[in-house]
Amino acid sequence: MLRKIFAVAAREFQLIWRDAALRRILFFVSILSLLLFFAVYNAQVLRGIPTAVLDLDGTPQSREMQQSIENCEDLKVVLYPTNYKELCGIIEKGEAVVGIVIPENFGRDVTEGKGSKILSVIDGSNLIYANNAVSAVLTVARTHSAELGVKTLISKGVHYSRAQYALMGVVFRDEPWFNPTLNYAFFVVLAMALNVWQQCCTITASYNIIGEMGSRSWLQIKALGISKFLFFFSKSLAHIAGFMLAVIPLYITAFGIYKVPLECSPAKLLLFTLVFAVSVHSLGTLISALCSDSVNAVRIGMVIALPSFILSGYTWPLEAMPVFVQKAAKFFPQTWFFQGFSLLVFKNPGWEVLQPYIFVLMGMSCIFYLLSSAAAAVRS
Amino acid sequence: MRQILNIAFYEALHIFRNRVLTLMVLVVPLFYAAVIGSAYVEGIFDSIPIGIVDLDHSQLSRELVDDFKNCPQFSVREGVKSLGVLEREVREGRLKAGVVIPENFEKDVINSRGTEVLVAYDASNLISAYNIRKNALQVINTLNARCAASYLAGKGMTEGEIKSTLDAVSYEYQVWYNPTLNYAVFIFPGIIMMIIHQIGMYSAALSVTREKNYNSWVQFTASPVPPWKIYLGKSLPYFISNFFNYALLLWFASEFINIKIKGSTYLLVLLGLLYVIIVTSIGFFISVHSKNTLQVTRYMLLLSVPLFMISGFTWPKAYMAHWVSVIADAVPYTWMAEGIRLAAIKGLGLEFLRKTIKVLSLMAVISVILGAVFSKREKPSYFPKIEKVYYN
Repeated sequence: MLRKIFAVAAREFQLIWRDAALRRILFFVSILSLLLFFAVYNAQVLRGIPTAVLDLDGTPQSREMQQSIENCEDLKVVLYPTNYKELCGIIEKGEAVVGIVIPENFGRDVTEGKGSKILSVIDGSNLIYANNAVSAVLTVARTHSAELGVKTLISKGVHYSRAQYALMGVVFRDEPWFNPTLNYAFFVVLAMALNVWQQCCTITASYNIIGEMGSRSWLQIKALGISKFLFFFSKSLAHIAGFMLAVIPLYITAFGIYKVPLECSPAKLLLFTLVFAVSVHSLGTLISALCSDSVNAVRIGMVIALPSFILSGYTWPLEAMPVFVQKAAKFFPQTWFFQGFSLLVFKNPGWEVLQPYIFVLMGMSCIFYLLSSAAAAVRS
Repeated sequence: MRQILNIAFYEALHIFRNRVLTLMVLVVPLFYAAVIGSAYVEGIFDSIPIGIVDLDHSQLSRELVDDFKNCPQFSVREGVKSLGVLEREVREGRLKAGVVIPENFEKDVINSRGTEVLVAYDASNLISAYNIRKNALQVINTLNARCAASYLAGKGMTEGEIKSTLDAVSYEYQVWYNPTLNYAVFIFPGIIMMIIHQIGMYSAALSVTREKNYNSWVQFTASPVPPWKIYLGKSLPYFISNFFNYALLLWFASEFINIKIKGSTYLLVLLGLLYVIIVTSIGFFISVHSKNTLQVTRYMLLLSVPLFMISGFTWPKAYMAHWVSVIADAVPYTWMAEGIRLAAIKGLGLEFLRKTIKVLSLMAVISVILGAVFSKREKPSYFPKIEKVYYN
């Protein structure tokens, strides 16, 4: 029996390899995507948000204000418009994301203790920029405002350190856990490449039943007397081995070359990935069993695979989605995989946390394979 | 003209005869928009679960806890008694962030000795991380202002003096185009354009490969109908359906995902027409030069993620490797995504979209030439050979 399994699996692997398109899709598309995505997130951290500063005052105090903006790591002053209309044009054209207006009489009002207002305009159309920009502006505002307040208190005879603690008594210390440098490349690149990988696996798995039963060689295979269960089991082994062979270079490149941090052991991650590979293969097999031809099987497989990453909650959190969407998302193996992947790579919680994910994926695999067998039996 | 319409009529008939193709052309775009839109419909990540470790148990620390509880962006979970518990809860995913108020917090603030409040957050998801950081900073800034005002009042300063000290420089920030920092407004227009790109190009890419599958493409190549008429005839139903889907999805975004589509209707129509011409023509070109439907299906559906990533629609192009940026500039989706953001979200006029429209127009001309000019005397590599196992 082992020899039969091996023979069918080897045949299957050979067929995948000989099909140039399938070979490219399964073994090269994901790794090329990973390399491309690392090039996209080349900068990794968003610093130096393009900023325009409009100084309508031109006094030493306003220049000091300008200096504190220029010293902010998160902001990069690129333009100095001369009037408000020009500033608006700069924001509208996208030449700067943040516009800061220092009003007329700023220096005089600050010196005389009358108070002055700085306007910050932020382009909110790109939230990756906007969220960073708001935090940066708040930090600059808080720091500069406190510095001026300290000077006022010193002039009233308060000791410097007392004045400082009076105005900034509570220091905000933020500690990002699990991704301390707030690195976008670590957050998104490998996950996106795995998204492409699971799409490629879905395409391959969608040939499992219909690719065989829909072809002319099926009659010969039936004539061999090999049980259908053994035959498709062996084919599936080859597919899943192919999926794992395709994902290993992704992990080696991400963790080994690009130094994406990995909290759990590689073995644990590979095991979890294997469970998902089986699950996604089972889903592809079910689609394959239900469709009348390979083309439709691939189409339907991709209809499911394409939105699954968005619904998985890996980027836009599941908790932020409506309840009915959260429940629907749980029917996709991709949701459990990407949630579990995030836990493993960044946090490495104990097995008891990961168990539900593994059991659900294994349960889905069993259900999808059972349904596939039933559908294939009816077809046969 | 009659030849073009004739070909278009039979192409449309083919679409409606094939159930899967009908669904792809007429239903799948709206289905995708609905599924993905439903994920983003709430748009703002509110009620982020956080835990607060209060090691001080003073009036001031309770005030800070109340400040976090009253902040709609946070949902404070009780019962987190220590940093260790907090760390476990965040690691296991039950909480997204934690605030640690140290011992002697109130005493240090009253005596102007300075103290630190730790805000630790789960940065494995940067979308929630930046939200948490921004909102926590605002809460603590508010507390600082209150404490400072109390201190200055204690020093005998009048209200006016306190205000002039604390508000020596006050800040007002305005967020344009997306004042509530709604995630759906940011991302959904780009997703809609990618849906049009994928489904529009894919369905057009089936127009000739289907004929090749049925061995009927030779009827077209052997006929006296010039290539440009074949291109127009076969592409016309897809131009119409793609433009219909473009309008439908924009309407859907506006009605159901609460994205305010601003800007001139004429500009939106112009952008849509150019985009639809490009994707349909490129789809037809791919179809002419592909062997069969299977080949097209396998490759084309994988394009969406890479094209979306390199477009600069989310991660800005200025932060990408230069060569990626150059490739992205050659992709129609990059320009259309930017164009729809400028026109529909920012509501900007023609003067801001000149470059985008020029580039899209040029791409439209090139894609039409690519589609309309093909040799009918090409080597018939699409004639049936001994098939590989996976070819149906």
